[in-house]
Amino acid sequence: MASGDMAVDRSERSAATVAAPPILEVNGLRTEFRTGAGRAAAVDDVSYAVRPGETLAVVGESGSGKSVTALSIMGLVPNPPGRVVAGSVRYAGRELLSLSERELQQIRGNEISMIFQEPMSSLTPVLSIGRQLVEPIMQHMKLGERAARDRAVEMLRLVNIPEPDRRLRQYPHQLSGGMLQRVMIAMALSCNPQVLIADEPTTALDVTIQAQILELMRRLQQDFNTGIVLITHDMGVVAETADRVIVMYCGRAVEEGPVERMFQAPKHPYTRGLLAALPQLRPEGAVGDHRLNEIPGIVPPLTRLPRGCRFAPRCDFATRQCREAYPRLEQKSDGQWAACWHSDALAEAG
Amino acid sequence: MPRISGPSPTGSVGDVPLLSAENLTKRFPVAGGIFGRPTAWVHAVEDISFTLGRGETLGLVGESGCGKSTAGKTVLKLHEPTAGRIRVEGEDITALSPSRMRPYRRQMQIIFQDPYSSLNPRMTAGRIVGEPLLIHGIGKGGERRDRIAELFRRVGMRPDQMRRYAHEFSGGQRQRLAIARALAVNPKIIVADESVSALDVSIQASVINLLIELQKEFNLSFLFISHDMSVIEHVSHRVAVMYLGTMVEVAGRRSIFSDPQHPYTEALLSAVPLPDPGARNRKRRIMLTGEIPSPINPPSGCPFHTRCPYVKERCRVERPKIREIKPGHSAACHFPLG
Repeated sequence: MASGDMAVDRSERSAATVAAPPILEVNGLRTEFRTGAGRAAAVDDVSYAVRPGETLAVVGESGSGKSVTALSIMGLVPNPPGRVVAGSVRYAGRELLSLSERELQQIRGNEISMIFQEPMSSLTPVLSIGRQLVEPIMQHMKLGERAARDRAVEMLRLVNIPEPDRRLRQYPHQLSGGMLQRVMIAMALSCNPQVLIADEPTTALDVTIQAQILELMRRLQQDFNTGIVLITHDMGVVAETADRVIVMYCGRAVEEGPVERMFQAPKHPYTRGLLAALPQLRPEGAVGDHRLNEIPGIVPPLTRLPRGCRFAPRCDFATRQCREAYPRLEQKSDGQWAACWHSDALAEAG
Repeated sequence: MPRISGPSPTGSVGDVPLLSAENLTKRFPVAGGIFGRPTAWVHAVEDISFTLGRGETLGLVGESGCGKSTAGKTVLKLHEPTAGRIRVEGEDITALSPSRMRPYRRQMQIIFQDPYSSLNPRMTAGRIVGEPLLIHGIGKGGERRDRIAELFRRVGMRPDQMRRYAHEFSGGQRQRLAIARALAVNPKIIVADESVSALDVSIQASVINLLIELQKEFNLSFLFISHDMSVIEHVSHRVAVMYLGTMVEVAGRRSIFSDPQHPYTEALLSAVPLPDPGARNRKRRIMLTGEIPSPINPPSGCPFHTRCPYVKERCRVERPKIREIKPGHSAACHFPLG
C-alpha cells in the first residue's frame, strides 16, 4: 500500500476530529518515587489530551518519564515506591485517579488498552494463547465462550496471524517475537478500546516487522476511531505515525505541537538537538563529512535536578535566567508550545 | 568466486586486502536425541565472502537472526568456521593454533553491544582498559599507566576516572571504555557488533562521531555490524546486506542506498521510518508479508523467495549465487532490480 493514500486519510481525519472533545485528558500529573536519595518526581506537571482517531506521540530518551506517565494513567505505578501525588486523568469525562482498583480493571483492557515493548509482560507462559485471549473478551464484552472464541479468531486474522485456530491452542513459547507482539495487539484491540496506549510497541522488532505492526495499528485506528498514545524514542516512528508530538525531558513536557512543525521548526533546544543527532539515511558526500550533533553532558538524576530549566546545563542557549527559573510551557506559535525562555533565539539560529 | 571489491578511502596495498573472508560458513549443531547428538544444524552463516580494506568501514546489516553477528565473531575466530577461509593481509589464519593466532588477535579487536554486561564489574575502569596490554605483555608499570591515561583522554574520558568501577559510568561512558580497551593494543581491525544500538540518540551520536574520528586518526578498519540502516549509512564506505545466513548484496554506500539491486535490500530500505513527516507522501513502501524462515530449515532455492514480492519459479528451485551486477555492486538474485 502506498503511503500517499495514508497521508490523505490522515489529513481528512485530523480535520474531522479537531472538533471532537478529547477522549483522554491528562492534567498536571505528578508521579513521585521514593528513592534512597529522597523523593524524586519521575513525572512533573505533565498535561496532554488525545482525541478519537488521533495519534499523540510521547517522545524522550531513557528516564524522561514517558513510560511512567502511561503507567500513571492506567493506575499501574508500583506502589510503593511510586505514587501519583497530583493531577487528574479524565477518560470520556470520568476521573480515573479516584476510581477503585476494581473499577479501573473494568476500564483497563476494555476501554483503554495498553501494548508494551515486551509482549511477555502482558502474556503468561503457562496458559494457551486461546485462554488468554478468550477470557478477557468474555468478561469485557459479556459474550459466551463460543462467541468470544470466534471473536479471538477474527482478531488474530486481523493482525495477519496465519492459521489462527491452531495458534489459539499454542503456548507463547511456540510463537516468534513478531507474532507474540501481534497477539498482544490483537488482545489489546479485541474489545474495541477507545484509547490505546502503546509503549515502545515495535522497539524490539525488526524493521520489516515494525512496518507491518505500525500499518496494522493505523488500519485498526481507522476502523475503530481509536485515540492512540504512542510512547517511543524513535523519531522515525514519530514522523511516520503521529499527528501531534510531546517531547519529554527529565519528567517534564518541554515541547508540544503538530508533527510537521516540530520536525521543521522545533521550539525547544532539546528537540532541536535530538533531531540534529539523528543519522539521516541520505548517502550524499563522503563518510565523516557530516558530523552528527552531540548534546554535551548527561541527563541529570531525578534526585539532583538543576534549579531552573532542567536542560540548561546541556544547552547552548542557556543564560542566567534559565539557570534560575523554570520556564512554563507556553504557546510560541500556532499550535506549537515549548518550555523555553529563548525559543525566539532558536528560530533565528535556524 | 567473484572478488567483491569497491572503492575504499585508502585502497588496499597491492592487491591484498587487510581482511578477507572466503566462502565462510558457520553451522551450529542443535542437540537432541538420547545421546545429545546433533539432530539438526542452524545454518547461521552460509558461504559468505567479503573483503575489508585499510581505513575502510564495511557495514554488515540485516535483521535479527540473519547471521551478521555470527559472521563477525567467526571472522575473529571466536567461533571456529565450519568451512571457508579467513585471511589477514593475505595470510590464511583459518587453521592457526591459539598460540600462532596471538599476533593476529592483537590486530583484531571487538566492541560489543551491551556496555552493561561486556565490562567486568569487579575491575576498575583503568584495569579494564589496560587488560589487553597485560594479556599481550605490552609495556609495564608506569609506562602502561601512561598509555591507559592517554587512551582515556582519547575517548573523551578523564584519567582520574581510572579508579572507578564500571557501574559508576553511564551507558555512553561504558561504551567509550570498551572503545579505549579495543584501541589499547593498536589494532588494525575493529569489529563493532551493534556497538551503538543500546544508546540513547544523543549519546549514540557522540560515540559514532568518536569512532569516525578514531578511524581517520589511526587508519582503522571497521567491520560495523548493525540492524540500523541509518547508522550503517552514516558510517560505512561499503555495505553488505545479509538475510538468513547469506549475503544478498554488497556495494558502495551510495550505490546500495540509491540503487539497491536485491528485492530484500529494497524492502528493508523502504521499511525504515524516516524522521521526516513530509516523506510519508513521497515514499513507496514495500510491505513484506510473512515471517523470516527458520535457519534450521532454510527454504529451497533463494532464501528470500518465501517473502519476495517478485518471486518467480526459478527462485524456488535454484539458489542464486552472488555476482557482480554493476562495477563494485554485487547481488545474489536471479532477477536483479536493475
